[in-house]
Amino acid sequence: MDEQEWLVSKLKELIENSKDYKQKALLNAVIDMIKEQEKRKEQMQGQLDGTLWSPGNWNQ
Amino acid sequence: MKTLVIISHPTLDESSSQQFLVQSFPESENVTLHHLEKNYPDEEIDVQKEQALLKNHDRILFQFPFYWYSSPPLLKKWQDEVLEEHFAFGHRGNQLNGKAFGLILVIGVAEKEYQTGGLEGFSISELTKPYQAVARKTGMHYLKPLEIYQFPYMTEEEKMKLLISYQQWLTIDRPDSLKYREEWMIDQLETLDHTLLDSSESSFIIDKAIELLEDNRIELDELNMHIDHLHE
Repeated sequence: MDEQEWLVSKLKELIENSKDYKQKALLNAVIDMIKEQEKRKEQMQGQLDGTLWSPGNWNQ
Repeated sequence: MKTLVIISHPTLDESSSQQFLVQSFPESENVTLHHLEKNYPDEEIDVQKEQALLKNHDRILFQFPFYWYSSPPLLKKWQDEVLEEHFAFGHRGNQLNGKAFGLILVIGVAEKEYQTGGLEGFSISELTKPYQAVARKTGMHYLKPLEIYQFPYMTEEEKMKLLISYQQWLTIDRPDSLKYREEWMIDQLETLDHTLLDSSESSFIIDKAIELLEDNRIELDELNMHIDHLHE
């Protein structure tokens, strides 16, 4: 289990135990945001790799 | 940034969606909730007081149920009386100039019906043109609306997402931006009440979450820089 998976599982435990609805909503949003950041990183990395390997740039 | 939320609803206490939003209201001195029907049960609007409230805030939001493609009647009366000439427009009527203006709409029909060919036939952008024209005439910057469709059919997960979106809509300059939302989230985590979490390791977990959000942001900024560099 990598650090992110571990953290998400720990946040889920906190959500289970929290007595406060707003707090549960916030912690759920933290998990969503970590996933959103991860997706954005993948997209940008893909864009970077794609641009690097674009045939149009090979002769520059 | 100071936000004024002007709510118009004739029976606020009986509306589950409006109650949900009121309960979700952020605990911040920079956000003011102002329910028209509660303040003016006789519908006699104190124009001076309302104009002072407007002047004291940077972002003005109207929150209402979307009745017949418009607001409940008291909000229309409020507009007619408060947004008067020499205050909101006309000679020396520049008091709202430069402020931001937006709508928080609670809508009973499904989102997919608000388009050409849908049951409603028109988009929300088309149907809210009069509000956009008010913003234009008074020199306010019109914000993208927060549209809440069919609240009673929302799952618990969707309601929790709405709670967060609503709080962000009221307190962040650019609620669409991931970077701005990250900063907001970290602020919230740093001031979290750990007594409600019932866990001995909550501080450690929350610190780790903040650390990950910040590390991811550094990586995203670096990737962005590399992409910009390639396009130079």
